[in-house]
Amino acid sequence: MKPKLILGVVSIVLFTSLLMYNFGTSISTYVNFEQAENRTSSHVVGVWERSEEFGFSNETMQFSFHMRDEDGNVRRVVYPRPKPNNFEQATQLVVIGEMRNNVFYANDMLMKCPSKYNDPSEADFVNAEEF
Amino acid sequence: MEGFIGNLFVAVAFLSVLGSMVLYGLSAWKDESKALEKAADWLWISKGVFLSAASALLVYLIMNHRFEYFYVWNYTSTDLEPLYLFSALWGGQEGSFMVWIFMAFVVGLGLMAWTRKPYKQPVMFVMALTQVFLISMLLGWDIFGLKLGASPFRTIAQEMPNAPFIQANPDFVPADGTGLNDLLQSPWMAIHPPIIFLGFSMMTVPFAFAIASLWKREYHDWVRPALPWTLAANLSLLTAIFLGGYWAYETLSFGGYWAWDPVENASLVPWLFGTAGIHMMIVQRKSSRAHKGAIFFSILAYIAIVYQTFLTRSGVLAEQSVHSFVDLGLYNQLLMFMLVSLLLGIGIYLYRYREIPSPKKESTILSREFMTFTGGMMLFILGIVIILGTSSPIIGRFIVDNPTPPEIQFYNNWSMPIAMIMAVLTVIGQYLFWQKHNWESLASALITPLLLTSVASILSIVLGDVRNIYYMVFIFTAWFTVIGNGAMMIDIIRKNPGLIGGTLSHVGFGVLLLGILASSAYNEVLLDQRMQNYNDMVAAGEVFDEQGFPIREKAETFMLELDQPKLVANRYMVTYEGYEITNYPRPEQQQYRIRFEPVDGGRPFYMTPDVYPMQTTSTADNIEWSVEPHVRTGLTSDIYLYVAGSSYVEDRNQRLRRNRSITPASGQDINGEEENNQQTIEFSRGQTIEVGPYQFTFQDFRPANEENLPDSTLIGVRSLIEVFHRPTSSAFEIEPLFAVYTQDGQSWTYSPPLEIEQFGLGIRFTGIVPDRDSIELTFDGLREEYEEDWVVIVAEKKPFVSIVWLGTFLLMAGFSVSIFRHWAREKNTEKK
Repeated sequence: MKPKLILGVVSIVLFTSLLMYNFGTSISTYVNFEQAENRTSSHVVGVWERSEEFGFSNETMQFSFHMRDEDGNVRRVVYPRPKPNNFEQATQLVVIGEMRNNVFYANDMLMKCPSKYNDPSEADFVNAEEF
Repeated sequence: MEGFIGNLFVAVAFLSVLGSMVLYGLSAWKDESKALEKAADWLWISKGVFLSAASALLVYLIMNHRFEYFYVWNYTSTDLEPLYLFSALWGGQEGSFMVWIFMAFVVGLGLMAWTRKPYKQPVMFVMALTQVFLISMLLGWDIFGLKLGASPFRTIAQEMPNAPFIQANPDFVPADGTGLNDLLQSPWMAIHPPIIFLGFSMMTVPFAFAIASLWKREYHDWVRPALPWTLAANLSLLTAIFLGGYWAYETLSFGGYWAWDPVENASLVPWLFGTAGIHMMIVQRKSSRAHKGAIFFSILAYIAIVYQTFLTRSGVLAEQSVHSFVDLGLYNQLLMFMLVSLLLGIGIYLYRYREIPSPKKESTILSREFMTFTGGMMLFILGIVIILGTSSPIIGRFIVDNPTPPEIQFYNNWSMPIAMIMAVLTVIGQYLFWQKHNWESLASALITPLLLTSVASILSIVLGDVRNIYYMVFIFTAWFTVIGNGAMMIDIIRKNPGLIGGTLSHVGFGVLLLGILASSAYNEVLLDQRMQNYNDMVAAGEVFDEQGFPIREKAETFMLELDQPKLVANRYMVTYEGYEITNYPRPEQQQYRIRFEPVDGGRPFYMTPDVYPMQTTSTADNIEWSVEPHVRTGLTSDIYLYVAGSSYVEDRNQRLRRNRSITPASGQDINGEEENNQQTIEFSRGQTIEVGPYQFTFQDFRPANEENLPDSTLIGVRSLIEVFHRPTSSAFEIEPLFAVYTQDGQSWTYSPPLEIEQFGLGIRFTGIVPDRDSIELTFDGLREEYEEDWVVIVAEKKPFVSIVWLGTFLLMAGFSVSIFRHWAREKNTEKK
C-alpha cells in the first residue's frame, strides 16, 4: 500500500476520533431542576415564572427570578448580570449553571425569542377580539 | 377570493415547473430536437410568471391589511411603515420560500440565456427538480390526509378552525394584525434575507453543473461555465452573512457579530464548501486535476444548504436557536428534499466514479495543485466541524439523551487552528501558483515577507499588550497572510491586474483574522471606579453572595445620575445629560444623551442610545421594554453602549403596577396603602419652586373664560404656571382654573386637575391667599422623596471591529474581481 494512502487514512481516523471526542465532551444534556441537584453543571429548560418576585439588585449585582422547568418544578434562579434585554418576551429560557441549596446559580442564560416565525397562541387572539 | 387565485397561481407554477423538469430531463436524455427543450424553457418562464404573480398578490394583501389571511395577520399590523410591510413578505416561512423560488427563477433565466450545450438541459433539469420541492412547500394541498405544503394564502378560519371566535363567526376579520417583531423593523430586514436566498439559489448552479457533467460524461469542461456562477454564489452568501453580522452588532444587546447560531452556520457552511469547490475548480481548470474534488464539493455545497434548511425549518432545532422557525409540518417534505438531493448527487457521483479522470502522477507537495487542493480540504474540514456542532440535536443523541448544543468554545477551539493552517497555505499556495519553486527558491522568496511579518507581529504584540502565546502565533499567521499575499498581489498588478482576485481575497482573509482576534479577545468593558474596585475584589475572591459562596462574575454595568460626571475606565469623564421622549419611530421611545469627554484632551462626543416599548408584545397594562444600542464606529475601535435601566422606565413600570392594583371603589391599592402623593405648595406671584425634577413658576393670574364656569360663580380665575422638567429639558405652560360658587347657600370650590400625561403629574389650582398675593397649587404624583434621574449603562470598547468589516470587504472585492475575470474569459471563449 502506498505510504501516502496509509498516512491519509491514519490522519483521517485520528482527526475524526479527536473531533468526536471533543464534540462529546462539549455537549451536555438537558435536565430538570431536581436532576440538577446532583450535578456540577446543568442545562435546564423552562419558562419564566411571572407570578414570583424578580429583579436586579444593585448591591449584589445579580438578577434573580423564578423559573419553571418542563416538569413543573419552580426554583429561584440567580444570574450574575443585569436583566437581559427582552427577557420578558422570551418564550423559553435555558439556564446553564449549578444548583446549590435549592437555588440555581446560572453562569449563562439563553433566551428563545418569539422572533420572525411567530408561533400563534390562543392568547394572541383574545387581544384581537378586544378591538 | 384572492386566496383562491393565489393558491391557483401557486398550483399552476408547481405544475409548470414539474412539467419543465420532465421535459428538460427528456431532452437531456434524448438529446435530439430542440422542441422539448423549448417547451421546457417556456414552462420555466411560466413557473416564474405565476409565482411572481402569487408573490405580488400576497404583497397586495399585506399592503391592504387584509387580516382575514393568516399570514397577513401574523406578520403585519396597520401601523407598519411601507418598507416593513413589504419586507414582511419574507417575515414568515411561506413568504421566504417564495423569495427563494423567485431568485431561483431569475438565476434560471440567466442559465437559459448563457449555458451552452451539452450542459443546458441537464443543468436546467436539476434546477427544475429543486424548484419542484420548494414550490411543493407552498401548495397547501390535502391528498387523502397527506398534507403537502403550507399555503401562504390560508385564512385565519382555515388555520384555526377550532378557535371559539371562528366558530361563533366564520367570517371574523381581525381589526389589526400581531405585527412584525420590533427587532425586525429595521432597514436590514429589507436586504439581508433576499440576498441570502439569492445566494442559496446561485449555489444550486454548481450542483446542477456537477450533476450535468456526470450525466453527460463531460468531466473537463464544465468548470468553465460553472466557475463564475459559483463565485457569484459565494459572493452573495458572503454579503448576506456580513449584513446579518452587522445587523446583529448594531441592533442587539449582545454586542457581537457572530454567535455560532444554527441559522448563521446554515449560510457559513455552504459558503465554506462552495469555496472549497472553487479551489478545486481552479486546479481542474489550470492543471486538469482534482476532477473528483471539484464535483464532490459542488454537490456538497448545495446539499449543505438543503440540510441546513432542513435543520432550521423542520423544528428539530426549536430549542436551540434564536432564529428557529415555527414548525409548519414540513418536516417530511424537507426530509424528502434532502434525501432526494443527497441520493441524486452522491448517487450519480458514485455511479460514475470510475470514469472520472484521475491524474496519472501524484502532484508533488511543492506544487500549486497540492497546495490549492489542501486549502480546499481545510475549508472542508472546517465546514464539517461546524456542521457537526450544528447537528448536535441529531448526532448528540447517540451520546446523551436530550443533547444540548456544544459550548461556544468547541467552535472556537477548532476554527482557530484550522484558520491558522489555511492562512499559511494561502501564502505558500499563491507563491507556487504563479511560479514553480523548489524548497530553496521558495524559502528565499519568502524571506522578505517573513521578515516584514515578524516586524508587524512584534509591533502588534507590543502595542496590543498581547500575553497569550497562542494569540501571538495566530497574529503571526494572520500578518503572514496579509503580507505574503499582498506582496504577490503587487507583483501581479504590474503584469495583469485582472488576475488579482485570489490574492486580494486572501489578503481580506488575513485582515479578517486580525480583526476577529482583536475584537473578540480584547473586548473591554468600560466601568466607573466603584465597579472597577468591585471587580478587583471579585477577582481576589473577596466577594460573597447571600449563601456564602464566592461570586465569580464581574460587574458589567455602572450607574450615572443626571449631570453628575464620573471617571470611566480611567479615560473618560462621562456625564448623563438627560433624555428626550422622541416618540420616533415608536410611541414613547426615549433617547438618552451621554457625554464622553476624554481626559487626555481629545474631543468630547455624545452617545445616544434609545429605549422603547415593544409594540408587538406590550399591552396597556404592561410595557415590555427593548433597547437600541448606540455604536460609535472608529478606525481603531468602536464604543458600544446601551441603557440597561433608567429612572424613567422604573417610574413608568411602577405607575403601571399601581394602576393595575388599584381597585376603582376605594382609591386604595389592594395592599391597603393609600395613594399618598399629594402635595400642596404655596407660590407667590413670580416665584419659582423646585420640586424633584421639576421647576414650577407661578407667572401671573389669567382671566377665566366664563363659559366653563358653573352658573353661580362668585370668583373664577386661572393662573399661568410654567412647568420645566429638568431631565428632558421640556417646558410646559398650563393654566389651571380656580372657582368659587354657591349652591344650597354654601360656597364650594372648583379646581379641576390638569394632567401632564408623560410624567403622570396632575396639577390643581386649589386656593388663593390674597394677603400675600400668592396661590396654592396641589400636585398629584410627585414623589415625596425625590430621587435624581439615573441611568444604568453597559459600555464596551471593541477594538478593531472596523478591521473585521474591512477584511470582509476585501474578500468581497477579491471575489468580484475573479467573477469579472472568469466571466470575461467565458464570453471570449464563446465568441471563438
